[in-house]
Amino acid sequence: MTARLKKKLGNLGVDPSSVRANESFCLIGTPLPPLEKTRDNNEFVPLWKQDVRDEKGRRRLHGAFTGGFSAGYFNTVGSKEGWTPSTFVSSRGDRSKKKEARPEDFMDEEDLQELKDSRKIVDTADEMDLTAGTQLGHGDDEEQDSVARALEASMLPSAKDSAGGRILKKMGWRLGQGIGPRVSLRQRKLQDLQAQALSGHRIPGADVEIPDDDEEANKHTYAPRDTPVLAVARKDNTHGLGYRPGMSLTESVGGRGGGASGPNLSTGFGLGALNDADEDDVDVYDAGATQNSRNRTAYDIIDREEEEKISIGTRASAPATRPNSSTETFNDGKPVLLGFVISSKPVSEDGWFPLPDVPKGWKPDPNRVWGKENLQAPEEVSASPEKWSKSGISADQRGNMLGETPLPSAPRSKDRERLKNIAADGMPPPGAAADSSPTPAPATITIPRTDPHIALAALGGGFLPFATNPAKQARYTAYLESQATTDSPPPPPQPLPGQRIDEFNKELEDYAKAAAIFKPLSGAMAGRFTSASIVEHGPQIREGLYTPSAEDLAEKEAELKRVEEEKMTPKEHAARLGMYGPMTRETQPWQPARLLCKRFRVPPPAEPEPEAPTFAQPASEASTEWDQSAAPAASTSGSNAETSTGSTSGGPRDLANIGLGEDDTQGRDTLTYQRPAMDVFKAIFASDDEDSDDEDKEIEETEPEPVKAPSPPPPQPPPPAPDVVMAAPEVVEPVDPATFKPTFIPREGKAKKGLDSDRSKEKKEKKDKKRKEKEKRSMVSFQADEEDGAGLQISPVKDRPKKKRRKEEQVPEDDDSMWVEKPAPDVVKTLSVVPPTEPEPESTSRGRKRAIDFM
Amino acid sequence: MAPSRGPEALPRRLHTTLTGHKGPINAARYAKGAAKYILTGGQDRTVKLWNANLGTEVKTFAAHGYEVLSITVSHDNAQFASSGGDRSVFVWDVATAVTTRRLPGHLGKIHVVEFNQDASVLASGSFDSTVRLWDLRAQTRQAIQVLEEARDAVQTLHVGSSYITTGSLDGHVRTYDLRKGELRSDYIGFPVTSVVPTQDNQTMLVTTLDSHIRLMDMSTGKLLNDFTAHVNTEYRCRACFGHGEASVICGDEKGVVWAWDLLDAKPLEPNPPPKVHNKVITWTEHHPVEKGEMFTASADGTVKIWRQTEE
Repeated sequence: MTARLKKKLGNLGVDPSSVRANESFCLIGTPLPPLEKTRDNNEFVPLWKQDVRDEKGRRRLHGAFTGGFSAGYFNTVGSKEGWTPSTFVSSRGDRSKKKEARPEDFMDEEDLQELKDSRKIVDTADEMDLTAGTQLGHGDDEEQDSVARALEASMLPSAKDSAGGRILKKMGWRLGQGIGPRVSLRQRKLQDLQAQALSGHRIPGADVEIPDDDEEANKHTYAPRDTPVLAVARKDNTHGLGYRPGMSLTESVGGRGGGASGPNLSTGFGLGALNDADEDDVDVYDAGATQNSRNRTAYDIIDREEEEKISIGTRASAPATRPNSSTETFNDGKPVLLGFVISSKPVSEDGWFPLPDVPKGWKPDPNRVWGKENLQAPEEVSASPEKWSKSGISADQRGNMLGETPLPSAPRSKDRERLKNIAADGMPPPGAAADSSPTPAPATITIPRTDPHIALAALGGGFLPFATNPAKQARYTAYLESQATTDSPPPPPQPLPGQRIDEFNKELEDYAKAAAIFKPLSGAMAGRFTSASIVEHGPQIREGLYTPSAEDLAEKEAELKRVEEEKMTPKEHAARLGMYGPMTRETQPWQPARLLCKRFRVPPPAEPEPEAPTFAQPASEASTEWDQSAAPAASTSGSNAETSTGSTSGGPRDLANIGLGEDDTQGRDTLTYQRPAMDVFKAIFASDDEDSDDEDKEIEETEPEPVKAPSPPPPQPPPPAPDVVMAAPEVVEPVDPATFKPTFIPREGKAKKGLDSDRSKEKKEKKDKKRKEKEKRSMVSFQADEEDGAGLQISPVKDRPKKKRRKEEQVPEDDDSMWVEKPAPDVVKTLSVVPPTEPEPESTSRGRKRAIDFM
Repeated sequence: MAPSRGPEALPRRLHTTLTGHKGPINAARYAKGAAKYILTGGQDRTVKLWNANLGTEVKTFAAHGYEVLSITVSHDNAQFASSGGDRSVFVWDVATAVTTRRLPGHLGKIHVVEFNQDASVLASGSFDSTVRLWDLRAQTRQAIQVLEEARDAVQTLHVGSSYITTGSLDGHVRTYDLRKGELRSDYIGFPVTSVVPTQDNQTMLVTTLDSHIRLMDMSTGKLLNDFTAHVNTEYRCRACFGHGEASVICGDEKGVVWAWDLLDAKPLEPNPPPKVHNKVITWTEHHPVEKGEMFTASADGTVKIWRQTEE
């Protein structure tokens, strides 16, 4: 970035070092094509070459039929060639490439869709035609000549093959090959006969007459005949099965009727089922009639039928022939179901025993039995664990023997013990109850026993089963205590006065039960649980619908407020109380953009960078401003020093040296001179309307220099901005900075007169303030004085503010002449760069001074 | 006339009513200078220029695509700027009724725009809680600076000679002092909807949504006076100073125009004042120079110009 741009950006508040500002938009090289193929094929094609094609690659008018408006070549109807006919090009060469035109090629989407739909219908019909291939030629082309039919059958593929046919063809089968191994001539003839008998039609191929003894024919094997599809005639009458009208009695009973066995009828004319075959109908030309005797055929068929009959009739033999069926039969001759075996063991009968004799006078007493069982049970149960252990093998051992992996967490011995205890203890209460309850007349006090540890647990468990009745609870506690200690038990509770013994017993039982019930948890799992904290600590529950009273609400609100207030920052608090002022005010530094300051005609506030406020301050300055400027004075003087050191690098800059040739750096500033900031001009010449970026830039460039202003602000209060503006025009307008030559016009005369005294004062002060240049300046001013009285003027009120610190010093009044300096570089450079001296003549460079002096 | 040296009585005689807007009027401003004209911007997306004396509509400026929320007139009356829901500031040429600039950049509706004194900078405060300062001299479309200190929508701002004051819904009035390079934020505690400084730039009138109008000392941030009685809890009801800054005027949400003595903060007679608008009064402005004229703009779609009763 160029420095200029940087500064410009700085003005706009853009950080020139930020990434975004440094982003490069230059791309070098050819961009790679996008990774995914874009759909736009015309992306890189010039506009006039672009054409639109549909998804089939056919060129189409650009949306002409779908709402677009651009058609043809470049929105005209023509082509690039215009209307000239294209020359003939023979397509002979690429005939092979040419695809045969199909109707689909000329169809649009709609048509295609339609076609698709219609095709679907055809397809479904196709699939349904399962018998298509085999049905062929059975009925309607009966009249066709047999040779023609044979030809047709072999040569023309069936229009629609059934699915099976298609599969077969794929496997290598050809039409006319038949299905199954090839057969000899004789067998084939037999097949023909059979088929004929079954279907009543003559097999087309069978007509070809081959004599039995034809050697040639016998040498070959033949494809088996197709099995004719059994076409069942639709039964649309109410006759019984197998009955045909006109059947004779014998036929109907079982003898063979003439229909099937009758003479071969000529096939030329259809014979309905209702027609009887007459003599006339006999096919005179039937070849088979002479060759294959009907009897023989009949015999074969009969033979087969008989076989079947036999197999059906003899049941016993049938199962034997079945592949997997068992040979066994039940006693009653029924065959055993497939897959079942008859058990060798007879079914055992239930034993029936005679009822014992009931002794005389016996009365049922369930209590006895009940009691006995109850008595025994506990012993058994309690004994059982030992029994098991006695029985030799524990579950673990058994598991080990079986190779089981032991359970991950076998119960710990302690737990097991505890469980054992529980198991042991669980029983006694019923036992005790049994002890006490059955005694019909409990005249004595029976104290049910509770194990000490149970009693202790119940005592310590904190559970109060009789909390509602404190007296009862106390008695319960007493009972538990009596049971808890075995050595010297405190006396068990005594029946209340007026309480019957049995009632008291009952009560004690209740206690025992309660202890047993509420103990186990605390006993077995006490280690695992902690009892809940005391219930009374919970909130008080009020009955009924809760309706907060006014007090409650007020209280709640107050609390909320308190909370809110606690949360409030002091600032908010103060605001709430109306204590606006320092409490609610926050001050923080804020840096306005330079441009903004410029637009507002306000000097940018002192920034971190010291040089900031050096140029013209047209606006009226508050006293604080001056203070501020006073503060930077130190720094400015510092910078001044630095510049001076720059110039004096050759040696100490001495008054004696000034203007003399010894100063080797003398010409340098001339070379490095830079025009003062445009802003300065502007401030003076006050045509505030035009602003340009150049100005900004220049200001920025020159800024560093202006800092040099070595002198503290003049004591006089700065004139208000308007003055400046006003003053400037009068002087300035004629001046052209480019051509203007500095001439020192005692223009300040007027001002000077008035200000003379001031001036001298100022001068003095300045001298005090300036350390280094004191002498120099005094001299200079001196000279100036001599040269023209006006020249001395330090600070005409109006001028000073424009120039600001730096200028103030150098050229209080003369500025106009000074500013112009272009032609007299020496002077100028000193003006701007060198610490200025008060009166202009002096302030201008020494060399300059000289010249003046001479003049 | 008010007795003795008290503030002038409020102009209460209805001079004329400007009807023409089809919806609520959100902002209205007197022209600069002699202020013979009034510019109003409303929910109906137009800005209209009225002759205040005759009550006639002079021009309609239609370009906004959303409601107009704020208007500011330049010092020379040659142009004005308006803003609203379309997130751009429109700078208009009054004579030709076209927009000379559209300044996009805000992310939300712009509640307020304000020229600086010589219309070289335009400040706009937006719902996106920023204030953007636009340079009208240069051709750049970038904002000179963006003030992002506000934590909530900026509802109002005022551009002075060397400072910019903003009021936002976060309850702060922030004064950006260009000269000192510092930001003074005064916490008011309630959403600030309008800030109107006095001529001397020493005090400002801060309207907040707690139905208070506060007169704040700008240099110290102290509360000088507090004006209440009106109702203002939801809408931006701009308050203003009466003639000579002797009184404070504000139309409230009930359609009532209140006036207070600046010094003792007592409502002026009649108290309570009569209801003059059917809906909330969104903007009240006193004529900048003439003593007996002011107007009120209301959500009922009318602007009423009030004059002193003739005697």
